[in-house]
Amino acid sequence: MKNILYFTISLLIISFLYAGQKRDMMIPDMLIKLIDGEQARLSSLLEDGPILVEFWATWCAPCKKEMIFLEEFHKKYSETGFRVLAISTDSPKSMSKVKSYIRAKKYSFLVGLDPNQEVAKKMNAMLLPTVVLIDSDRKVSWYHQGFVPGDEKEIEAQILKLLDLEHTNESEK
Amino acid sequence: MKRIILFITISSIYAQMSFTGNTETRIGESSSGYYYNETLINTNLQYGAFTNWIQLEYSDPPELGRSINGVRKLRLEYDNGPIQLKLGDLYEIWGRGLVLNSVDDQSIDRDTAIRGLTLIYNIDSFSSQFIAGKADISQSTINALGFNNRKHNYQVSHNLYGLNIQKLFGNHNLGFSFLQGLEKHPVNTFPSDTIDIKNQLHSLNYSYMNSLFDYYVEYIMSRSYEFEEETWKSHDNGKGMYGNLNLYFNLFSLNLEYINYRYATIDPISRFNIVDYYGHNQPYQNPPVAVYIHENILMNRISHQTDFNNEVGYKAELIGSFSENIEFLSIFSQSNRTHSWAMDENYMWKKDQKLSSFPSFNPVAMPFKEFYTELTFHTLQNNLFIKLGYADMKDIVDLLQNTVTDTSQSLTYSISSAKTVPLNLSYSFGNGWSIESKIELQWLKKGYRWYEEKNNQIIADSLMSIFLDDDGKRLDQEKNTFISFTVSKSPKWSLTLTSDKTSVKESFLENNSVVNPLEKLLGINQEKNWVNVEFVYHLTSTMRFSLLYGSLKGGLLCANGVCRIIEPFDDGFKVGLSTIF
Repeated sequence: MKNILYFTISLLIISFLYAGQKRDMMIPDMLIKLIDGEQARLSSLLEDGPILVEFWATWCAPCKKEMIFLEEFHKKYSETGFRVLAISTDSPKSMSKVKSYIRAKKYSFLVGLDPNQEVAKKMNAMLLPTVVLIDSDRKVSWYHQGFVPGDEKEIEAQILKLLDLEHTNESEK
Repeated sequence: MKRIILFITISSIYAQMSFTGNTETRIGESSSGYYYNETLINTNLQYGAFTNWIQLEYSDPPELGRSINGVRKLRLEYDNGPIQLKLGDLYEIWGRGLVLNSVDDQSIDRDTAIRGLTLIYNIDSFSSQFIAGKADISQSTINALGFNNRKHNYQVSHNLYGLNIQKLFGNHNLGFSFLQGLEKHPVNTFPSDTIDIKNQLHSLNYSYMNSLFDYYVEYIMSRSYEFEEETWKSHDNGKGMYGNLNLYFNLFSLNLEYINYRYATIDPISRFNIVDYYGHNQPYQNPPVAVYIHENILMNRISHQTDFNNEVGYKAELIGSFSENIEFLSIFSQSNRTHSWAMDENYMWKKDQKLSSFPSFNPVAMPFKEFYTELTFHTLQNNLFIKLGYADMKDIVDLLQNTVTDTSQSLTYSISSAKTVPLNLSYSFGNGWSIESKIELQWLKKGYRWYEEKNNQIIADSLMSIFLDDDGKRLDQEKNTFISFTVSKSPKWSLTLTSDKTSVKESFLENNSVVNPLEKLLGINQEKNWVNVEFVYHLTSTMRFSLLYGSLKGGLLCANGVCRIIEPFDDGFKVGLSTIF
């Protein structure tokens, strides 16, 4: 048990020190498969404005809870160019039900497919659900791992913060 | 001077380089000596059209698998318009995975990476992919020496090359795949004693998509050859088929899947023996299954293990909404072998009758069937969430005896059947605080059924349960109860108390738990109860810390139709930290 104790203490010290560091995280301009059979570059999806990417799977209960709120935000802020892209990490074993799930729920946001988790790895999404808020320049504005009820408020606050920032930048240009 | 030029070059490249990554550290120690300590570091470097992924592992030992200290995975990619080139550890999926689906599922320690290169050419209506490399795939099997729940004891190397072509014609897509693997197959405990096998897979797929429905069909042929007397001799042939139809209506969607895998017909006792039976379904194929992947814990523990060599089945799933707040889901799935099996006069298994391409529930074909339905209700501005489900499952796990004469039949098989009720409730108070509870109840029957008939008269028809009470008396069923209660304050922390309880001891499994101090504190002094508490704290939005204390039951863990026994964790700590940088 000593190992655990030493490890936990050192981990917390390093984590608190590291938590203060901030740097720009740029996402590669990767190709994303969409549910309608099309493929799109990340840069083309960002042409109209920032996007919120959610990594999810049909067997992930918290992901599906989070999606109810993401649909709300997608509709609410679509006029600003903001969009939600929900990327399914379902393997071929459950991939067939992704489309039927989305259609049954009548979700209007964009849906991507990432069955071998290549996109998830490039966006550093290790847990489900992971939310990545990306600005128009492909820079990560905010990450969030996991979902508990109430997290939707923080997600919305971060969307508004990014939209404000993008609006200010546009005005300055 | 050279050093200065090198320094300036590296600096200017680095300045244009984008660098992100993540780490995951997990350490755990239980009172029964179960210990692991592992750190995974993933780095993603990007420079123009080049990206580089490196995964480092430091473990001594890891929770599952063998210790690695250094580079675990590495890949360099070039992506420029229609051309993509990847070098290193490849995880590729062709179609629905009937020919190729290489995965890295660390929860069950299944890694089927191909170390090599792939070249992809992709324009609007046409794509092609060439792949070549080596896959060293290890597995756990009781048919090789040194079986261990935590470390694989059997490894096969496959030298692969193949081609996948897809062409789009409007809403129609037509594809062709070919993959060849040369395999040095170890046949007994001595690693030098191997057989050279050549496996060839050819497949055709066709799909169509419109706004009302879509479908996907793939047909695959497999051929294997064994190298004998300086020549390749035919070893075995097989075939497989997968079909998927989705129908979209206004209020609901219907998803139908059909599988028909006939790579080999191996007798009931040997069908999972990957050492002595080779040249059939390959580990780099990971095709779809006719089993629903459950979100709940107890149903996952008794998940049907698909026989990828020989299984015919279907799954029908209906999903929809009664109103904006009430949703439903209903699933029925069923599968069995392609043949019935019977024993000859020397008690040797032989194929009996070829069965229909549509599954039934004949015990001599080791069938499986499951019905699952759930209702989801969310209201009060999505602050209240209730989900109630019901599952009914029956699985003939093993056929032990089936002797048939003109006037008699003697049949023995092992059966597992369960009824499960999962309930999930959560309420968000609107100020960041929320509560959530998961309750799962399961009535599980496991045992051996003996049926004997002579001259059209039933002589015996009984079920011997494997469950015993504390006095050794047989009980009809086991009752399993899983309860968890979570309090959370978004977006910072959550605290979860979990109790996993079983009513009886399985007669041949040592599954009793050590009573830990947490259980004593809660007044639970039972050996058949596993209680733990977990605290999760988000230090920042990119840093998540978790601490678990207590016991975990372990048991069967299934991911995508592949299952693995996970050892119980008694009275110990688990610490985890994940970061994104």
